[in-house]
Amino acid sequence: MKTAIKSEYLVSPFLVLFLVHGMQFGVGVLSFQRDLAKIVGQDAWISILVTGIIVHILIWMMYTMLNKDKGDLMTIHQRTFGKWLGNLLSLLFIVYVLALSITVLRSYIEIVQVWMFPLLKTWPFALVMLLSVYYVVSSGFRIVTGVCFLAVVIPLYLVLTFFVPIEFSNFRNLLPIFDHSLSEIAKSIKGTALAFSGFEFLLFYYPFIKQPESSQKWAHFGNIGTTSLYLLIMIVTLGFFDQGYLNKVIWPTLMMWKIIKLPFVERFEIIGVTSWGVVMLPIICLMFWSASRGIKEIFKLKQRSVLVILLFICLIVCCLLIDRESIQQYNTFIGTIGFYTLFGYIPFLFICYHIRFIMRGK
Amino acid sequence: MKMWFRKQPAEQAQNTLFALLNRYQQSGDFVHFHHPQSPQPFWISYFGTLIDVEILHRDILPYLNKTAFTSLEGVKAALPFEDVLITSDLQQIQDQLLEGSVLIQLHEQDSECALVRAEMKKAREVTIPEEEYSVVGPKEAFVESITTNLNLVRKRLPISELKVKEFTIGTLSKTKVAVLYIEGITNEDNVNTVCQRLTDLQFNQILDSSIIAQLIADNGNSIFPQLIDTERPDRVAGVLAEGSVVILADGSSHALIGPISVMGLFNAFEDYYVNWQMASAFRLIRVFAVSFSILVTPIYVAVLTYHYQLIPKDLMVTLVSSRRNIPLPPILEAIILELTIELLREAGARLPSKVGQTIGIVGGIVIGTAAVDAGLTSNVLLIIVALAALASFTTPVYRMGNTIRLLRFPFLLLADLWGLLGIAVAFIFLMIHLLRLRSLGRPYLEPIYPPRLKDLKDSFIRLPFSLQSTRPVFLQTKDRERFSKQQASEVNDIDE
Repeated sequence: MKTAIKSEYLVSPFLVLFLVHGMQFGVGVLSFQRDLAKIVGQDAWISILVTGIIVHILIWMMYTMLNKDKGDLMTIHQRTFGKWLGNLLSLLFIVYVLALSITVLRSYIEIVQVWMFPLLKTWPFALVMLLSVYYVVSSGFRIVTGVCFLAVVIPLYLVLTFFVPIEFSNFRNLLPIFDHSLSEIAKSIKGTALAFSGFEFLLFYYPFIKQPESSQKWAHFGNIGTTSLYLLIMIVTLGFFDQGYLNKVIWPTLMMWKIIKLPFVERFEIIGVTSWGVVMLPIICLMFWSASRGIKEIFKLKQRSVLVILLFICLIVCCLLIDRESIQQYNTFIGTIGFYTLFGYIPFLFICYHIRFIMRGK
Repeated sequence: MKMWFRKQPAEQAQNTLFALLNRYQQSGDFVHFHHPQSPQPFWISYFGTLIDVEILHRDILPYLNKTAFTSLEGVKAALPFEDVLITSDLQQIQDQLLEGSVLIQLHEQDSECALVRAEMKKAREVTIPEEEYSVVGPKEAFVESITTNLNLVRKRLPISELKVKEFTIGTLSKTKVAVLYIEGITNEDNVNTVCQRLTDLQFNQILDSSIIAQLIADNGNSIFPQLIDTERPDRVAGVLAEGSVVILADGSSHALIGPISVMGLFNAFEDYYVNWQMASAFRLIRVFAVSFSILVTPIYVAVLTYHYQLIPKDLMVTLVSSRRNIPLPPILEAIILELTIELLREAGARLPSKVGQTIGIVGGIVIGTAAVDAGLTSNVLLIIVALAALASFTTPVYRMGNTIRLLRFPFLLLADLWGLLGIAVAFIFLMIHLLRLRSLGRPYLEPIYPPRLKDLKDSFIRLPFSLQSTRPVFLQTKDRERFSKQQASEVNDIDE
């Protein structure tokens, strides 16, 4: 199926690196260490490596499907399961994407409310962020990619800050290695699903890439970048904090930023949290772009009006999640759904698609 | 019935040359007289204020008085002009007369005539550029006459591929607009875009090329200039050789260059006349100055309103003590000072130069010191605002200075609303706006996004000429190479 998208809206394959990496490196970074450390303790970095490898396999699966199909998730569903069931499954996926965007936005606003402005009301800030999301998404996919690119390149200085705790860490905390069983490591992967998620949006923007087959290596590079960054952060966290503390603290990365000393600022984590807003923006933008485009393809509506309605829904749900417990419950719920979607549904789709392909070939 | 007959002769009379000349005689400066004392009598008409009387006295009347001619071809042969036009087309006669031609008829009721171009060419002398002054390099600037400007450009590009396309725009002003490009280098899409936008233009008066820039801009609501204006012919020649399209307008001493990218707003042409190390350093200073100018006052407001914890402890005492006696919150302090500087700038621009210097001294020193002593502002903020104002003028393109002045205010307001987070939000909106902006259809933020590593060699830094063998990628030129890289990089071995 030849894509009907004009070449002026397409994006060069090199930018898939930033699309994949930018989406994965998000809110999860600030808090992922705790869920891992509770189950596997000092072997958490092994879980990250394992998850990274599994994500590579998942990206390969997605590319095999998409290269054969030359479409996006909606067309794959329609081909595999027929029109009605396929559209229903696409719709469920889109609802998951929308719920994920609410997670991301609300977690960030919560971090701002805890670390910078305790009296900040949720709705004005959410409204302004969603306005900027509308500004970006309504300009088209090229601008969304541009925001992803800039939001990966500009906050790169934050990577340097992860090297600062090394001089105070004690890497003997990492010993003994392989102290936990394989089943515990497998259980811990459930916690990292949310941190590594972000590559599945490839299913939505695949038709917008020029020479899409050549972009596969860039997607893998993006994932390698994310995995190495997470590995670095995890090892430094394990070396810096002790296990008892890690089981209790919610945002270990932000606590690590507290120790950075610069001559012109006293508290670095405020600058860190502020830069995180720039890191968060493309994630929300791409999610809304995917969701609105999905609904547009299924129901043949105008993407702009769908976008406004989705933003409105997001704003309302964000304001309904008021305190820490509800946000935590919501995040855990979405995290579980995300784990089963990514690590269970995508291989299932892969198998079904190939069965269908072979059947049709016969 | 009578009305029928009355109308027709009047309409007929309107369409003759005789009627036209009668109408023109209602203007006091139109001259129309009969020369009976020559071998062959003739009628001569012209606008006295448009022609050069020297040419009339020296080149037209003596020859007409001397020779005997029986027809207009004889007139044409007699006069020492190369482009005498013989026509009876009324529209052409009107246009030519209003441009400064002399009209010669053999008899008063003739509809055919000869037109001789005798316009007065008075324009400013070619002088030093005022805005884009450079210490090194040529110091010629464009003037208001399009012929002189084209001459200045053609002098620097004496090749046959330099093409000039002429348009007449403006129903009242009938301004001559010329589009220049080099065939074989410039991408045809750019030229076609410009020509099409110019021909689609419907406007009554084009007084300056900046009006054209606003009318054909991709986004008229953006404060960022989408076409650079320059008054240096060497800059125009340089960008033509890179593959840009240049627009010149009669009556305007600025040329328009397009398409541009945001890095073009930081590039002064003087960078090519100094060493590449110095050019790179100055460009980096300019980029830093612009970011400093936009961000420093909002950061001051944000930190002092919300983030006391961020101030380094050594600076804490100075800052807090400077704000101790100020009755106003930091945002109002900052807005008052910014508005004062804007007032000074506007007042200085309107006054004649002699009085303007006094205002500069009075405003800058006295008002500033007095404001601090009166306890209206803190001296730290005064330094910051003054430095920011100074830094906003480091951009070589004058329009960008205006942009930066305006950009500071939304940052200030958002900084007062949400502190550092507000500055981040304002930065996000700025980033999105720049991503969306296009210049003649090309993305504005090239070479940052879409990332073009090859174009970075002439953006934030200027690499030496030996490394600049390819033309900028974002112009999508047809001919990519400036010079052959292999030939340039042949290096001899030791002692060879």
